[in-house]
Amino acid sequence: MSEIILGSKMVQLIIALILVSTFLILGSTRLYSCVRAFGIQSFLLACVAGIVAYSTGKNDIYIVAVLTLVIKAAVIPYIFIYIIREIKVKREIELYVNVSPSLIIGGVLVVISYYLIRSISIISELSSFALSASMSLVSIGLFVMISRKKAIMQMLGILIMENGLFLGAISLTYGMPLLVELGIFFDVLIGVLIMGILIFRINKTFETIDTDMLKTLIG
Amino acid sequence: MMDTYLFFGMILFYLIGAGLALILNRNDRICTYASFLSASLASVSGIIFSGSILLGNNFSFILSGSPILNFGFFVDKLSAFFIFAISITAFAVSIYSTGYVREYFGKKNIGYLCLLYNIFILSMILVVSANNAVMFLIVWELMSVISYFLVVFEHEKPQTLKAGFIYIVMTHIGTGFIILSFLIMAGSGGSFSFETLRSTAMTMPPYLKDLAFLFALIGFGTKAGIVPLHIWLPYAHPAAPSNVSALMSGVMIKTAIYMLIRVSFDFLGGGVWWWGMLLLIVASVSALIGVMYALMEHDMKRLLAFHSVENIGIILIGVGVAMIFMSSGHPDLAAFGLIAALYHTINHAVFKSLLFMGAGSVIYTTHTKNIEEYGGLIKRMPWTAFFFLIGAISISALPPFNGFVSEWLTLQAQLLSINLTDNIIKIAVLFSGAGLALTGALAAACFVKAFGISFLALPRSTHAEHAKEVPVPMLVGMAILSLMCIVLGVLPFYVVRIIDSVSAPLVGTSISSKISFDLTIGTLSSFPASISTTWIALLVFVVLPLPVIIYMLMSRTKTVKYETWGCGQPVSTARNEYTATAFSKPIRMWLGGIFRPHREIQTAYSDSPFFKDRVIFESEIEPVFERYLYRPVTWVVLTVSRLMRVIQTGYIQTYLLYILITLVIALIFVGSGG
Repeated sequence: MSEIILGSKMVQLIIALILVSTFLILGSTRLYSCVRAFGIQSFLLACVAGIVAYSTGKNDIYIVAVLTLVIKAAVIPYIFIYIIREIKVKREIELYVNVSPSLIIGGVLVVISYYLIRSISIISELSSFALSASMSLVSIGLFVMISRKKAIMQMLGILIMENGLFLGAISLTYGMPLLVELGIFFDVLIGVLIMGILIFRINKTFETIDTDMLKTLIG
Repeated sequence: MMDTYLFFGMILFYLIGAGLALILNRNDRICTYASFLSASLASVSGIIFSGSILLGNNFSFILSGSPILNFGFFVDKLSAFFIFAISITAFAVSIYSTGYVREYFGKKNIGYLCLLYNIFILSMILVVSANNAVMFLIVWELMSVISYFLVVFEHEKPQTLKAGFIYIVMTHIGTGFIILSFLIMAGSGGSFSFETLRSTAMTMPPYLKDLAFLFALIGFGTKAGIVPLHIWLPYAHPAAPSNVSALMSGVMIKTAIYMLIRVSFDFLGGGVWWWGMLLLIVASVSALIGVMYALMEHDMKRLLAFHSVENIGIILIGVGVAMIFMSSGHPDLAAFGLIAALYHTINHAVFKSLLFMGAGSVIYTTHTKNIEEYGGLIKRMPWTAFFFLIGAISISALPPFNGFVSEWLTLQAQLLSINLTDNIIKIAVLFSGAGLALTGALAAACFVKAFGISFLALPRSTHAEHAKEVPVPMLVGMAILSLMCIVLGVLPFYVVRIIDSVSAPLVGTSISSKISFDLTIGTLSSFPASISTTWIALLVFVVLPLPVIIYMLMSRTKTVKYETWGCGQPVSTARNEYTATAFSKPIRMWLGGIFRPHREIQTAYSDSPFFKDRVIFESEIEPVFERYLYRPVTWVVLTVSRLMRVIQTGYIQTYLLYILITLVIALIFVGSGG
């Protein structure tokens, strides 16, 4: 059955689109478009979950799909936009690594992920496609956290990593038990709220959310 | 069945005590009574429980039956003996505390203190009744952390925070070594359960056994306070509230002795001769160093803390001698050494807690720890003085009190080494006997100072002048332990029989039939030494006073009170009194090579050089261990950390980069089939 679902051109296309959306985040220098790209990515992820639910006939994955849609594609982007608006941050992202090198490194990370996953021989060709995409998402998320200055981008990076893990879970096991999924969603939501509060505090203390200032904290 | 009820009743009462402390936090007085009453009820059930185990069968209760981690309780005679020591001390200290904590009413959070107090005792009970290394480590750590919070209870004083820091660092270094030791032992058996360790640890290769023993010695030695790992005691004990220091010094450091005996005898089967030799040397040095530094100390609680180092040394002398006998094929003599050690364990628990409570009472009313500011307290607080005197006589090992019995047993165990064949070991053990005798003498000198300077003569300060007798609960707490000092001292034969049943499973033989009534073991050696404290007690308290009483009843001479004759000089002020510094001067000179005393005299002149305005005299001894052992070590650690700090850049992005690099390398390693 897994051959049918993940092999279907539909899912492959969506996973490819998810990767594209990730590169959108890497390639843009404006906060709003990054958040928008993340919203699109989460929406696509919800689509993957929906297709998996439809073809396996498991009802609880529908719930997961809906939750993804609501929390990741709507609520979290809204929180981001709220934060950006409230602290009146400059809309431009400051980078340590410029746009074009970022894109190249992103590409390299994808290649490395595909190479690594290929060497795990147990998985079939098709689900390995989804797994490599999830791997790429995790590493690109980490790279976003490393290469961007604004604290909001660190938050976004960790959410991209989370999306990657979600994609990996759903492509390998058709979703974890519902209880676990619910726990993870709760975790992500609370995480975002706490990080949001932290960003407010950082802004209040340093009058900027530029993480450069945090280096004064070392002992 | 009864045992189960008693055991869980005890745990429940401690938990109730902790809960009540939280609930009734609003009202200091009610909170105090409820919480400490619950603690004393718990300790009463602990006393009954341990008594029934000591006279009956072992107790075991399994909480979860998983094969690797079978959490549960196992109380054999050894555990029961320590539960008894903890419970009897906790009972007296709990009663004492209802009076003592009044000092903190309105100033500190009483509920917090009562909560920690209850959990602290509970954690000690659990430490000695755990049946599994993992569970043991959890409760051990709980005990360490709770006692840390109790040490820093008066955290508004900067020196308290320093003391707490030293304590928590030292205790965690110790825990690290304990974990290593357990990992080595569990590694060969495949299970952390004590039951498995008992059968598998014996079959380990010798070098692993040696390592396990050494790590256990360092780990538990840190908690027990053997030299040179003792430096936390003189900081932590004075910083804690006195009722807590009574428990910490009286029983908490004994849990380390418990585990040391359990590991070396129960798990590792007594080991080889050099283990015992090492322990004996360390113990003798601890005993001597402890009492020597105690003599130089003028802070009452620091003085007592150094005496803990000394007494831990005396206990471990017994254990070390037992290990030497065990490895050279004299299990009955080993039993004798172990009995001496265990006897001194309970004795020290009783009289050290008593002394700390006495010191606490004096501090309660004078608000100072400095001996030089006391004086004349015997007239102002006669009961405290009386109980302190009993504790002082006990710790100085004078018959017929309990300290004498156990030190006498230890000394006998050392002298019994004439039965050994190896001459070197024989001489070494006999030398340690000489060391023990010196220790006893110095301890007596120290308590002449501690009692004489504090309680006799005239008050040296206004603090001492305004001293009053402490509230009744505090006196009751001290009275209970004073009574225990006498009972343990006057009826040693019965106590020895019970302790023999504790040591018998560990060394494999029971010697109660061989010990004569005056506590010598007659069959093996033929030295004609016999002292019976029972007869001494009769002699001292009945026969000797009789003529005096008769004389006093018969004669009609009047007693005239008059000033002490001062060679014609009109001396009657406190300024002319003998001070603690002066009292210890001869010993400071005699052992100057070790103390390295340093003194400074500053003279301030008023107008002309002929009129001295004031003279400032400062004298201190060099903290040898801190300066020559700990300072280099901390220097190395700090330097290495400073070098390591290069990687702490302050940029979040750099830290994340470390993660990414590690992740990619790990993945490539795995991916390439590594």
